[in-house]
Amino acid sequence: MNREQAISNAAQGVIDIHRNRFDLWRAARGPKAGYLSIDTPEEILLAAGVVPFRMTGESESDTIDACARLSTNYCSYVLSCLGEGLASVYDFADVVIFTDSCDMRKRLAETWTRELKTTAYFVDLPNDASNISKEYFTERLRKLIEFLERRYRCTITDDALRRAIALCSTSRKLIRRMYEYKKRDIQMLTGMEYVEVVKAATTGLKEIFNERMIPLLEALEAAVPTAGPKRPRVMISGSYFDHAGIIEVIEKAGADLVCEDISNGIKYCEGQIEPDGDPVAAIASYYLERNTSARRLEASLRVRHMLDLMREYRAGSLIYYALKFCDTNLHDYPYVLQRFKDEKIPVLFLESERNGGNIEGAKTRIQTFIESRMF
Amino acid sequence: MQSELKVSGRVAQYQNLLQLIGESTTGTARDGLPLKASHARSIVNCHRLAEAYKEQSRVAFITEQFPTELTFAFEALPWNIESMSTMLAQSLDVDRIFQLTQERSVSRDLCSFLRGPYGMMLADCYPRPDVVLTNDQPCEGLAKVIYWSGQRYNVPVIPLHTPNTCDEGSVQYVAKQLQRVMSDLERVFGVQLNPDSLRASVHWSNEARLYYNKTINILRQHKLPGVSRELQEIFGMNYFGARQNVQVCKALYEEAVELTNAEPVKATRVLWIGQVPEESHEVLRHMGKNVEILYWAPLWHANSIVLDEDNPFRSMAERAIQYHWNAERMGADLERICDDFAVDAFFIASVWGCRNMMGLSPMIRDIAIRRKLKYLIINIDLVDRNNYAFNHVKNRVDAFLELVQ
Repeated sequence: MNREQAISNAAQGVIDIHRNRFDLWRAARGPKAGYLSIDTPEEILLAAGVVPFRMTGESESDTIDACARLSTNYCSYVLSCLGEGLASVYDFADVVIFTDSCDMRKRLAETWTRELKTTAYFVDLPNDASNISKEYFTERLRKLIEFLERRYRCTITDDALRRAIALCSTSRKLIRRMYEYKKRDIQMLTGMEYVEVVKAATTGLKEIFNERMIPLLEALEAAVPTAGPKRPRVMISGSYFDHAGIIEVIEKAGADLVCEDISNGIKYCEGQIEPDGDPVAAIASYYLERNTSARRLEASLRVRHMLDLMREYRAGSLIYYALKFCDTNLHDYPYVLQRFKDEKIPVLFLESERNGGNIEGAKTRIQTFIESRMF
Repeated sequence: MQSELKVSGRVAQYQNLLQLIGESTTGTARDGLPLKASHARSIVNCHRLAEAYKEQSRVAFITEQFPTELTFAFEALPWNIESMSTMLAQSLDVDRIFQLTQERSVSRDLCSFLRGPYGMMLADCYPRPDVVLTNDQPCEGLAKVIYWSGQRYNVPVIPLHTPNTCDEGSVQYVAKQLQRVMSDLERVFGVQLNPDSLRASVHWSNEARLYYNKTINILRQHKLPGVSRELQEIFGMNYFGARQNVQVCKALYEEAVELTNAEPVKATRVLWIGQVPEESHEVLRHMGKNVEILYWAPLWHANSIVLDEDNPFRSMAERAIQYHWNAERMGADLERICDDFAVDAFFIASVWGCRNMMGLSPMIRDIAIRRKLKYLIINIDLVDRNNYAFNHVKNRVDAFLELVQ
């Protein structure tokens, strides 16, 4: 088996966790809890013996019923998740945890409560990381702990929380290590494979994930930087994103997607929970500090972070991806564009639906954008 | 950051505004002010507009339902970026404003009630603020726009976050933030807060609320033309904390009492739910000829909360959370409104781009069905005429009016 094959096999081992997630969840012990936002503190759920998994909306492309219960002019990720709920895709789950990640998800939480049998639990989430906000979010997390303790007749001890923190921190550290290879010009995995690895991490099956990441990283360690002419290095930022077609177009046009600044990318694994002190306060602080998404009020902080990533990954241009009707990302875009113009960094704005099959229009724009970076 | 955007002096900004008004091409017909109380409000509006454009005035940009009592305590004029834009849309060329936003890559899918203020700021028509006070009430989009305004004018931005859950922890969280806002404002204005000033503004707010709520009480028993609209204007103006607002509310109350002696109106009562256009809007005029329109937001429970004059932060926090859009609380409040005001039908204005209203509409529809009320959910754009034409909705509005009468 050659080096490329070894990397590919190891990557498939990780990605299979996501692809076979339904079987794995059914086989896994303990109750299951769905969530939508990566701002959901998985550590607390794991400490309660719950398997926390991210809902991806992949199983239900038909959103007609969801539209009737929310609106047609809604973010397609939110609609497809509701569609999954209405189609009983997650019937094995005991609870769905919603965080206040955007107005549409707030309305989704309410609709879920009204329309579906699976219990919904809502966690308020401040939109900055001030001390008052951290204190409040800590208190909200304690309420979540009380809810879980009552529901599962268990006690969530500090030790259990620390163990869960260690487990999640390991997963994040492993993904960050994988991203290091992108910085070193080792492009042995496609952008979509990176996205799918992160998706595997959000299945909640942390032990399996951590175990399978080791051979992948070992295989990558043996790789050497990609030879040949330098390809344009592109970063993608924006809404919920896992559009294989778009990534394929970018890569086939001759560019490398060097950083996915999205929830299914580097955003999921940034930062680290401080292991000392009160674990609940540490978790609260981590999630608020880590948040550099469009959810955060301070768009300037988000842009600073984006520019840091551009430098870190030596990306030369940005694709700003917004799901149709994703208001927070649409609101940030003019500001992002202006700041990137100031830095003389080219930006391509792409807007599409979550399950958008026809990407021919976008294809022409992406190809033109990438080609203009080549010569 | 927004380097190429010009920020003029306030006198020049006022000239920019007059120029836009002068170039108006919409030529909306107006029916004139129906109530004497409207004149009182117009005078206060003219006065505050003129004051805000004076160089020496303190101006604070705010969003809907921000606790304006705080700004009045610092003798700062609150400039509600959304309602000012809606008010000014009556007389200026909004198309040009929206064109400016599109040139800046602001998506047309965003709510026009948010794109309006964005464009007004791009046109440099608003008075330069000294400070920007953000709040995510009623939506995160408004918080985004007002945050951007701080960048645009390069002035301090003071955030306020309102959670969705209403419990003791959330009330304390908002109360603490309000106290921090006061400390931040002290730094911005370079003065210490005079506790008497805060007490006075809270007192004026409560007194105005007293008349406001007494007027609402009259509407429980009487159908009074124009009164609900005037309450909507006062609600949108959000000038609570100013002494002049007491006069505005008192004038309306006294006029409402007078009107109860007139011949009773027998029109069907339709509750207008959702954003409200300026008063001369064609849909309103068309409906107003056939039914009595009662506006939803002025009747919200949150409007009835009396502030504690000695220690106002807690009561302000409670009010802020009650104002926050939440399906469960709003549903219960809507049921109360239906009972108290004998509502006959719902007109649900689902404005293109308002995700909150869109997401809540099915819940409101369910209430209408349960109560056997006629309802119409209509997708509409009340500000941006590029997204809407009256003829496209008229058939449906007419069918609804035939049903309810």
